[in-house]
Amino acid sequence: MAAVKYISRDKLPQWLAALAQDRRVLVPVAEGDGVVFRPYDPAKEPIFGSDATAPPKSAVFPACQELFRYEQTKDAENPDKSTLELIPNLEMPATVVFGAKPCGARGFLIFDRVYQGKKFPDPYYKAARDATVFVTMACAKVENTCFCHWVGSGPADPAGSDVLLTPVGDGYTVEAVSDKGAPLLDSPLLTDGAAKAAEAEAVKTATREALGEAPDISSAPQALLDAFNDMDFWRDQSDKCLSCGACTFLCPTCYCFTITDEPAGLNGRRMRSWDACMHFQFTLEASGHNPRPTKAHRLKNRVGHKFSYYPTLHEGLIACCGCGRCIKSCPVSVDIREIVQNAVARSKA
Amino acid sequence: MSRLEDLKARIKAALPGLECVIAWQKGYDPLHNTPLFIRTEADVDKLEWGPLNVHNPAVYLPSFRGKKIGVVVKGCDSRSVVELLQEGLIDRDDVVIFSMPCTGVIDLTKVKARIAAAGTTAGAVTAVATDGNTVSVTAGGETLTLPLEQVAADKCGSCQFPNAVLSDQFVGDPAAPITPKAPVAADLATLDALSVPERMAFWRYQMERCIRCYACRNACPLCVCRDHCIAQSREPHWLTQEDTSTEKFFFQVVHAMHLAGRCTECGECQRACPMDIPILALKKHLNRTIHDLFDYQAGVDPQAIPPLLQFKVEEDNIKERGW
Amino acid sequence: MTNPQNPYLPEVATILETVQETHNIKTFRVRFDNEAAMAAFKFEPGQVGQLSLFGVGESTFVINSPPTRMDYLQFSVMRAGEVTTRLHGLAAGDKIGVRAPLGNCFPYEAMKGKNIVFVGGGIGMAPLRTLFLYMLDNRADYGDITLLYGAKSPADMAFSAELPEWTGRSDVNTTLTIDREAEGWQHKVGLIPNVLLEIAPKPDNTVAVTCGPPIMIKFTLEALKKLGFEDDQIVTTLEKRMKCGIGICGRCNIGSSYVCVDGPVYTYAQLKALPNEL
Repeated sequence: MAAVKYISRDKLPQWLAALAQDRRVLVPVAEGDGVVFRPYDPAKEPIFGSDATAPPKSAVFPACQELFRYEQTKDAENPDKSTLELIPNLEMPATVVFGAKPCGARGFLIFDRVYQGKKFPDPYYKAARDATVFVTMACAKVENTCFCHWVGSGPADPAGSDVLLTPVGDGYTVEAVSDKGAPLLDSPLLTDGAAKAAEAEAVKTATREALGEAPDISSAPQALLDAFNDMDFWRDQSDKCLSCGACTFLCPTCYCFTITDEPAGLNGRRMRSWDACMHFQFTLEASGHNPRPTKAHRLKNRVGHKFSYYPTLHEGLIACCGCGRCIKSCPVSVDIREIVQNAVARSKA
Repeated sequence: MSRLEDLKARIKAALPGLECVIAWQKGYDPLHNTPLFIRTEADVDKLEWGPLNVHNPAVYLPSFRGKKIGVVVKGCDSRSVVELLQEGLIDRDDVVIFSMPCTGVIDLTKVKARIAAAGTTAGAVTAVATDGNTVSVTAGGETLTLPLEQVAADKCGSCQFPNAVLSDQFVGDPAAPITPKAPVAADLATLDALSVPERMAFWRYQMERCIRCYACRNACPLCVCRDHCIAQSREPHWLTQEDTSTEKFFFQVVHAMHLAGRCTECGECQRACPMDIPILALKKHLNRTIHDLFDYQAGVDPQAIPPLLQFKVEEDNIKERGW
Repeated sequence: MTNPQNPYLPEVATILETVQETHNIKTFRVRFDNEAAMAAFKFEPGQVGQLSLFGVGESTFVINSPPTRMDYLQFSVMRAGEVTTRLHGLAAGDKIGVRAPLGNCFPYEAMKGKNIVFVGGGIGMAPLRTLFLYMLDNRADYGDITLLYGAKSPADMAFSAELPEWTGRSDVNTTLTIDREAEGWQHKVGLIPNVLLEIAPKPDNTVAVTCGPPIMIKFTLEALKKLGFEDDQIVTTLEKRMKCGIGICGRCNIGSSYVCVDGPVYTYAQLKALPNEL
């Protein structure tokens, strides 16, 4: 890729303003006591260097988006006849997501394999994904809920990012990761960063070292299948779970959705919106039968999907980026690391 | 024997007749405890008691109906247990209530803010020590000693029920209720001072970041709709799945209305919210209206019927047509 | 696939006619409004479609007419929830949306040269119908064909207009059964698994295809095993709550198998290898 560049911290607002000239720039800002990605506003200082409460998932995968609207027009001469027109909404704004941690962007690797399959590629996802550039910031510090190194990632993982910034001294080195990201380095606000490259690598190495060793969870996919019928095991793992959707909706790799119609007279919209396998209705059938009737069944599916089913279908890629949001934001501190390790230990016993 | 040891011994004695006993244990880091489901004697030894026991274990009780269950509660939790008994959602004979006097729990949002102000993060915490009055947090090599009253949950600053309202096993000397520093809670006072349009703007702003996870709903011990919630239902079809403040605030208002006169202000809804949205104020406001109209407070008297779950031909405080 | 560029966009279709099969099953015969799309439409027996009722939602139904008869696409709908109830209110001339074909198909190629035993219960006859008629339209490719179709009562039998033909043909061995005696009923009385044991089809070079309510499938499987059928000789088709129908929204999985793409047709051997979350 192109040579390493550098931008000093005091020039960041200018860079953001320049990017915002012709696209939506999403940065992490404080909103109440939370930190969320919002369009860049020079009056609001972005919060870089720590994890936003919610990941920038909604930039590419909105919490609710219109798939199409439908319009029925009755024939004035013959009211029994009507024509029905379907108008899909594939407009996605050009976007830069600036300042997410690498784990936030890595989530889209998990999305890509599902949404950009050969047989049924998802045009809404493609439009948003193509229109979005991820400028991520490598981590200089770690939290005790970070476990990106367990799932094949790391604090400076470029996978999923288009441009990677690494904090060095009073600024950041800037590296292009993808063809989509490379043009951003042409900004005149950036200077040559060759002199800082070694320092940036040292930051990356030090942060990775701060995480320590990852345990061996290579047997997790089989271990989770082995535990499938052990409902006492899943009862113990899920006892405290409240079966809400916080973990799911804050997860950068969770990609499930539902589709609902909203009529308005003769017209209406079909929308898709986030859904959580932790909710009772997720698999509820019209007959009343529910394959996952209890929270134990549903937690088993969530962990099973992330650490067993998805890796089995996708060459070992774990459907988790190790960001730790599910652990931090769970009202009762369900810890997915603990569940995976318990399953692994159960198989070894 | 310390109080905690005494409590553990009593739980061990009761355990054989119970499906499990719900309490708290250490969580994934020194700042977090987490609910504990005691099924064996070894589990009892994990029991923790202190300001990190923020969760309300009453939320789990209705799902154990039909089984004999034990639960360890703080004073505020016991009010939820009593309200569940008032409404017939759990059976008195099937619940063994253990308790000790409580001197307050932390508000993790407040602790995190103090840690951030000191230049480090909650994720770097390596040790936490608590006594009755302070919380000492060690992070990044530095130790912050925080007075508990500064980082305690708002409800603790005006706690009238530091001892369980109802219990089978109470260990320790009862603690005294706290005299509130202000006549009106801070969050209500702030909203009271706003005009109605300003209040609407406040809630529109706060609900923007809501992710419709329903942690608030599922953490509430008194929520009965749960899986049949109007926020997710098509029959009746009251809400869309749109990600707008309107839809999200609609759900909050309905939930608050469902809780009017039933909510014990345990604060779990607000604590559970991963986006730190201050939704407790909505329930508190309706509760003070209920209090003014019906002289009623939820979860205090197991024999009382909540005012909106009963009907009186003549109300004491609602004067219609000069009767 | 209707609209491969946008697999969420249904093809608008008009209902040509409806048949009230039973008190809670209604058949719809539809054609796409776009004639070119209708002419180009291809599917294989067993594949399903998402029917859209705009403003209400979508539900999954097998295309239960065979690809050998393309005057229309037929779907038989059992009234159960929001979408199906509103669908039942539709009549000829009304418009719906179709996203099809979705899912896999019956292994009709691999079944060539074999004897086939169909065991259908209630609405479960719908997916069997597409394969049954396909085989009748390609009769020489298949060996003996046996059909056992059962319902609670005569009024609960679907496709009653076609049953005389199915029982009358000499190139298939059709048995109809109901749970309890009913006045005027000319055929068998008895629960499907018991009648199956009476018929006692031999498993040699035979494939059994079964569909129906879960309890019927359970006991039918037991009967087939008793008759000596191996797990890979038994084929069924599953139902699951579906939304996208194209393997993306994440909800119809049984372990790592997505019923909308890897199914809904499975052999019993395949189902046994999957985690138990039917």
